[in-house]
This record gives sequence, structure tokens and C-alpha cells, in this order.
Amino acid sequence: MGFPYDEASWSVVDGAMFMGWGSAVPGLYTFIACMICVAVLVYGQRSEAKKTKAFTK
Amino acid sequence: MEEQLAELMAQVTALKESSGVTNTMFAETFYYLTIPLMIIIHAGFLAYEMGSSRLKNVLSSGVKNILAFAFMIPTFYFFGWWVYWGFPTGLPGAPGPAGISGVEYANSIAWGWGESAQYMGPNIADQASGVFFGAFALFAATTASIMSGAVIERIQTVGFVILAIVLGSFAWVVAAAWGWHADGWLVTQWGVHDFGAAGLVHAVAGFFALGVLINLGPRIGKFNLDGTANHIAGHNMPLTVTGLMLIIVGFWGFLMACVIIPGEAWSWFADKPSTIYGTPITLSALSFNILMAVAGGIIGAWVLTRDPFWMMSGALAGIISTASGLDIYFPALAFMIAFSAGIILKPCADWLEKRGIDDAVGAVTVHGTIGLYGVIMLGVFASGYPALQGAAGEVATISLIGQIVGAVVFFLCGFVPGYGVSWILKKVGMLRVPHGAEIAGMDLVKVPGHGYPEGIPAPAVNLAPGE
Repeated sequence: MGFPYDEASWSVVDGAMFMGWGSAVPGLYTFIACMICVAVLVYGQRSEAKKTKAFTK
Repeated sequence: MEEQLAELMAQVTALKESSGVTNTMFAETFYYLTIPLMIIIHAGFLAYEMGSSRLKNVLSSGVKNILAFAFMIPTFYFFGWWVYWGFPTGLPGAPGPAGISGVEYANSIAWGWGESAQYMGPNIADQASGVFFGAFALFAATTASIMSGAVIERIQTVGFVILAIVLGSFAWVVAAAWGWHADGWLVTQWGVHDFGAAGLVHAVAGFFALGVLINLGPRIGKFNLDGTANHIAGHNMPLTVTGLMLIIVGFWGFLMACVIIPGEAWSWFADKPSTIYGTPITLSALSFNILMAVAGGIIGAWVLTRDPFWMMSGALAGIISTASGLDIYFPALAFMIAFSAGIILKPCADWLEKRGIDDAVGAVTVHGTIGLYGVIMLGVFASGYPALQGAAGEVATISLIGQIVGAVVFFLCGFVPGYGVSWILKKVGMLRVPHGAEIAGMDLVKVPGHGYPEGIPAPAVNLAPGE
């Protein structure tokens, strides 16, 4: 986390400049974001199905 | 040979001049185009507020919103622009280290009279002042619009306009001078970083609105005697939701206007865009992060509410919660922060309502609470980033403490004038419409027209429970 260059100065920045660049952290964030999307869809499907069941009796 | 060299030199000189003209025209056009995009924010707020109003108040809500926009422009011209340039270092307005602030500097560029007026009107040698002024004036108008929705259906028109002027041409401008200017003391001393103005526009406006709401009081029928709240439905939810989506469109112009174009005399870099602080940024970074933030906010709000109003408010909350660091967030992290903002949105709004605050559109939560959340989140994730250009160790860096200090200052810049000025207006009878007028409907009282002259199927008088 934090500034991804050894020296805390913008003059050394010559490429990626987001926090975590150069570590495994961005990959972890990407994985978590994917999992959030999947979890929301699974949870959403279950709760919507439950609601619609009440109208199919 | 010499003639050929001379000819080549002449061609090179002509090319350099021509590329200079192209860059200047690009820069001027870039900021010019942010202005109509930001006016779309106002089309959005107009639809949002009118849709959230009951039938009897629909046009007066629109009038209020439109008039606030209209008064923002001249008052920002008269004194708001001067405040921004005059006080980054605080009182008494001494010049700052970057040499682009202080009362003397502001006197030379930001008054509509004397020598200064040459930078406040048409000037063939100045293709920047007007478009910068325009972008900032639209930021000012945005703050007024944020407050506008919270206070619908019971506020007096002129009292509201006075509050809008205080907020839009003074309160947020002070916060911007301190926290959104390379000479601002919050930046130089505390490393405060708020690229997309989550704190200095959204939180200031949101907590200004809270200050007003405390003095304004709830709408008639909002709360029962036992303190429980009634939902007062707006008359047109599709209009409200469409308005919120238009605000998202306009936000792209807002965030675009936060970027400083390269290659001009006033630019920070010759070859890359920068933030207002002079730190590098790309439009690519904005594209990644704004899109992920909108998506995360919508998804978070859907999980908890399933309500399109809160989903679109979630989209806004997503952007606001990440705005401070849109230049440096990793996109998946922006998504996660925005998702969390979408999740906490409704609980935060309910918390406020349980305390007797009737915020008709959730402005205090979406802009105030989430704005501060965004400022502080950046302190969690971006500690160590240099806040300004300069050698390592010679400039302040972003820190959690610094962002918290910034958040507190932004809260106070909004809440104190909002509460104070509305208290005065209340004392002189200019804040709230009389009880009878509120029951009858603001359109009957204030507007020479009817929102739906052919009628729509609805009761003639739309009473909220308890009215």
C-alpha cells in the first residue's frame, strides 16, 4: 500500500502510479472485486426467487 | 545553403507557433466543454427534485433550483472567484509558496473593475480566465443544487437563494482555497489530497444542508408524535431516477474540469495533465476509476435496497466516495470502496432520519457523510503519496491524520455557515413558509402556473399522513 516508488517524489514516477503497483495487492483487489460481483448475483438470485415464489402459489 | 537554413528555421518557427495555437485552442475548448456537461448536472438535479416533490410543490421546487443556479453565476463573478485566489494560506490572505495566491494576487485578476477587469471579460490575449471561471462557477452552482434538494417543499425562495449564495460563492470556496489549491494550507501543511472535491464540494454542501435542516425543521407530516418517520413519496420516481442518471453524466464534466491541461503558460507540466495540486494524472485513470466507482456504488445499493432511487444515489455515492483519489486508486479498489459506500448509504440516511432530520432526497448522506468517508478512505490507502511536486522529504505527503484534519475542516466549512445563516434567516422570518402555505402547496402560493394543467390521476390535495 502507499506510494509505489522508493522515493516520495513525483519526479521519479515514469509509469503506473496506483497504490500497490509492483506487489500482489492489485491482483488481490481485482479478485475481491470479481468475487463481490459473483456473490451479489448469487445472493440477488436467491432473494428474488424467494420473493417471486410468493406470487406463484 | 545559408538561404536553405534560414528557410528551414522560418518553417520551424512557424510550426512551433502553430502548435502553440493548437494547444491553446485545445486547452480553452477542453474547459469550455466541461461547462455544458456540468449544466447537465443541473438538468439532472432539476428532474431529481421535481420528481421527489409532491404534485402541489413540483414547479416551485424547479423554480428554487433554477434560481439558485442563476444567482450562483453573478455572485461567484462578484466575489467568489476573488475568495478562491485570495485565501489559500488562510487569513489575512498572504501569498503562498507557488506564487498564485494571496489578496494582492486575487486583487490583480479577480475583480470586475479596474485593471483586474481585463481578466474578467473578453480579452484576445487571455484564453484561459473565462473558461476557468466558468468551470469553477459551475462547481459553485453544484453545491447550491446539492443543498436545494434537501430543503424542498417548505423553504422560502429568497431565504433559500441567500443560503445558496453563502454556500456557493463563499463557504465551499473557502474550503477549496484551503484544500484544493497548491498553496492551500491544508495541502502544504497536512498533505490533504481531494482531487475530485469529495470533501470541499460534496461534504461542505452536504453538511451546510444539515445545518439548514436543523433550523428549517421537517415537512408537516414527516414525523409522528412518537418520533417515527413517514415516507413522503415524490410524485414521479421515474423522473427522479432519470435525473440522477443525468447527474452521473454531468459528473464526467465536473471531474474533467478538475484536470489541468499541459503545455500552457499556466500548466504544471509541458507534457502531461495534472491535478489542481500539480501532481500528474491522466484522463485514462479517470475513465477506469469513475466507471468502476459508478458500478460499485449501484451494485452495493442494490444489494441492500433493491430500490432504483437508492441505486442511482449509490452511483453518486460511488463516485463521491472515490473522488478524492480518482487520480491514484487502482480501479478494482475504487470498485470496492464504491461498493462499500453503496452498502452504507441507506443505513446512514436512516440514522439521520431517526434523529429527526427530514432530508427529502438524502443529500446530507450522499454528499456529506459519503464525502467525508471518501476523504478519509484516501488516507487509509494512499498514505505516503506526495501531495505536491517537489523533492522527497520537502513536500507534505498524504496521511490518514491529514485526511482526517481535512475532513473536519470541510465539515466545519459547511455546517457552521449553514447553521448560522439559517438561524439568522429563521429569526427574521425568512426561512420557512407559513404552515397554511405549506399545506396548500408551494405552487399555488409561488408559481403562476400548473405542473400538470390537464391533470394526472391523483387526489386534488396530496396530504402526507398526519397533515
